[in-house]
Amino acid sequence: MQEQPNRRLRVLLAKLGMDTHTVGVTIIGHALREAGMEVIFTGLKQTPEMVAAAAIQEDVDVVGISTLSAGHTRNLPKLARLLREQGGGDKLLLAGGVIPQEDQPLLQAAGVHKIFTMGADTRDIVQYLEQWWAEKQASEAA
Amino acid sequence: MNRPVSEFAPANDNIIAETERWQAETRAPFVAAQPERRDPFVTQALKWPIKPLYTPADLDAVGFDYLKDVGFPGEYPYTRSTRPNGHRSGFWTMTQVTGFGKGEDWAKRARFMLDQGLSGLILEYDLATTNGYDSDDPMVEGEVGRAGMALDSLEDLENAFDLPFDKLKYLMSVCNAPQPVNLAMIIAALEKKGVDPKDFVLHIVNGILIEYTCVGRYIYPPEHGLRIATDAIEYIIRNHPNWAPLSIISAQLQPAKANPVQEIAFSLAICCAYIDATLERGLDIDTVAPYLNHFVVNVDMDFFEGICKLRAFRKCWARLMKERYGATRPEALKIRLMTSPTTIALTLQQPLNNIGRLAIMATACALGGAGENMTTPLHDEAHSLPAEEAIRVGAALQHIVAHETGVAETIDPLAGSYYVETLTKQMEDAAFAEMEKIFAMGGAVKAIETGYFQRALGREQYERNKDLEEGRRKWVGVNHLVLPEEKREIEIFRLNDEMEEQQVEKVRALRARRDQPAVDAALDKVREAARNGDNLVPVCLDAVKLYATHGELCNAMRDVFGVHTPDSQLAGV
Repeated sequence: MQEQPNRRLRVLLAKLGMDTHTVGVTIIGHALREAGMEVIFTGLKQTPEMVAAAAIQEDVDVVGISTLSAGHTRNLPKLARLLREQGGGDKLLLAGGVIPQEDQPLLQAAGVHKIFTMGADTRDIVQYLEQWWAEKQASEAA
Repeated sequence: MNRPVSEFAPANDNIIAETERWQAETRAPFVAAQPERRDPFVTQALKWPIKPLYTPADLDAVGFDYLKDVGFPGEYPYTRSTRPNGHRSGFWTMTQVTGFGKGEDWAKRARFMLDQGLSGLILEYDLATTNGYDSDDPMVEGEVGRAGMALDSLEDLENAFDLPFDKLKYLMSVCNAPQPVNLAMIIAALEKKGVDPKDFVLHIVNGILIEYTCVGRYIYPPEHGLRIATDAIEYIIRNHPNWAPLSIISAQLQPAKANPVQEIAFSLAICCAYIDATLERGLDIDTVAPYLNHFVVNVDMDFFEGICKLRAFRKCWARLMKERYGATRPEALKIRLMTSPTTIALTLQQPLNNIGRLAIMATACALGGAGENMTTPLHDEAHSLPAEEAIRVGAALQHIVAHETGVAETIDPLAGSYYVETLTKQMEDAAFAEMEKIFAMGGAVKAIETGYFQRALGREQYERNKDLEEGRRKWVGVNHLVLPEEKREIEIFRLNDEMEEQQVEKVRALRARRDQPAVDAALDKVREAARNGDNLVPVCLDAVKLYATHGELCNAMRDVFGVHTPDSQLAGV
C-alpha cells in the first residue's frame, strides 16, 4: 500500500476495563489534536478485544492506552497479543497513567513500546510521536 | 441589617486615599527597582487576579456586610462555622480511605486503621463492583479487588464486617451506580452481625450524578440513575433516620479540574436534582435537606482558594436552602462538610514531598472549618495502593494539625482578613451566577445530558495542564527542582495476584450452592419493581439475603432501564 506523503498521524486513545479516570486521556487528546494529529477516543469501559478491533477498523498508526487502576499487567499484554494476531503488530502501542516502575519491563516485554507515567509532558509525547512517525515514513519510503 | 453606606464612607475614603498614597510613595518606587516575580499574580484554579494588598476598602467594593455575610458560628448564614463552638468542643472525625482485595483482606486492614486511632472508615469497592459487574464477568478481568474491595454477594460483606463495631461508629460506603443494591447488602450484613442500626452511622455516597459528570462509573441512563438513587434516599429517611443517604462528592469534581466556583455551583445544582426528586416522594424540605447536606470537599494547594471555598460553600448552601426552597430548620440550613487534602496535588516524583503538601492542605482544611470529618489521602497514592507506613503517617498528620498547631483553638480564625473575606464573597457571588445559569438550562440532569458539565471540565483540564507545562504554575518535582535520576525509596503495597482467581472461584461456588429458583423469583421481583416504579430497596434486600449477586441484581435493572452510552463527543476528549 502506498503511503501518501505527510499523511496525518492517526491515534486511537482508549480506556481499558472499568478504569474511568479520564483527565489524563482528555488532556492528551486535546494536545495531540492541537499538534495536528487525528485523534479517535473509544470511550470508557473497553475490552482488549474491542480496542484491537477498533484499531484495525480505524486503521490507526498509534494505540494509546490510559490506565490508572492497576489492571495494566493483565489487559495491556492481552491487547498487544491481540493486535499482533490481527495484523496490527506494526502499530505503536503506548501506555500512560499510574504504572509502577517495576511493572514496566513486563509490559515492554509483552509489546508495549513506550510508557508515559503520571506527570509526563504532553510536548514530550507529541515529540516522541512525531519522531516515530517521521522514522516510519522514512523507512517505508526507502 | 444593612447600615447606610454613608456611615462607612468617610473612613474608607480615607483608606482609599491612603492606599493610593502608599502605592505612589512607597510601593511603586520599590517595584520599579525590584520588579515583581510574577505577572500577573493569580489564584491557582480560578486565575483571579491577586492584588498586592487588601484593605477595608476591598470589603466595601464587594459589598461586604459582617452581620449579613459572616455572622456568628452555628447561625445563618454559617460562613464562620456550622458548629456553635467550632472545634473547641471536639475535633472533626478523622478518617482514611481503605478498601482492597477480598472482604477478609479489607477487615484486616480496617482493624489496623482503627488501631491507629481512627473512628470512621470509608469503604471503597473495586471497579467491577462500582460498574455493576460480578468478579467473574469477562468485562472486568484484571480489575477484581484492585481499586477497592470486591463485592459479589452478602458473603463478602459478612467477611468484611469481622470488625470491632464498638470502635467503628461511622462507615461510608462509596458505591454510586449500583444503588440500591449496595445499600441492601450492607443492611443485610449489619443485621447478620447483630449491629444495632441505631448505634452506628452508615453513610452511602449514592452520588450517581457526579459519575455522569466526570467520574464515569455509571450503568443506567441519567433519569433512571437519579430514580434509583432517590429510592435509596427515601428508604433511609423513612427507615434509618440516623443514617446518611447521600454525599455530594465535590471532591470528584475537583480532581476533574473544576475550579472552586464550578465546584460549588455544579455540586449544589446536582444536589438540587436529588432534593427535587426526593420532595416528589411526599417529603418536605425541612425533613429532606438535613439528609442531603453531606458534601465531600477537597482542598488544593492554593491555601486561600481552599479556605475561602469551604467558607463560601457553607454560606451558599444556607442561602440556597432558604431562598430556593424556603427551608427554615437550622438543620436544613447547615451543610455538613467532609474535607480532604486533594490527591491531585501529590506527585509521583519525590513522593516524600507529599507529606509536606498534605500537612499544608490539612491545615487549610482546618482553617476553613474542617467540617464534621476530615480524611487524608496518603503520600504514596500516586505510586500504588497505600502501604501501612503511609497509613500511619497519614493518621498522625491529622493529629499533628489538630493538637500541635493551634489552628482549631478559635473559631474561623481567618475571618475578617481583608483578602479572605473578599475572596469568599467573590466566590459566593460567582457560584450563584453559575447556578442560575444551570437552573435556566433545566437543572443538573439536563446539564449532564447536553454535556455542559463535561465540556466545561474538559476545557479546565486542558488549560490547567498547559499552565503547568508552560511554567506558569511551578510544581516541585514535576517542573521545578526536578531530580533527573530519581531513585525511589518507598514501600509499595502489593496485591496478591491469586486474589482475583480466588474471588472468581468464590462467587461461582456460591451460585452453585444457593437456592436458585428462589433467587430467580427474587430477581423477577426486582425487575417488576424497576418497571412499575416501586422502591427498589425492599426487593433488593429480599434478593441479597438469598445470596443473589451484585452483578445479577444490576443486570436485572439493566434489563429494564437499559445502559448509558454517551456520545463520545460528550466525554470531553
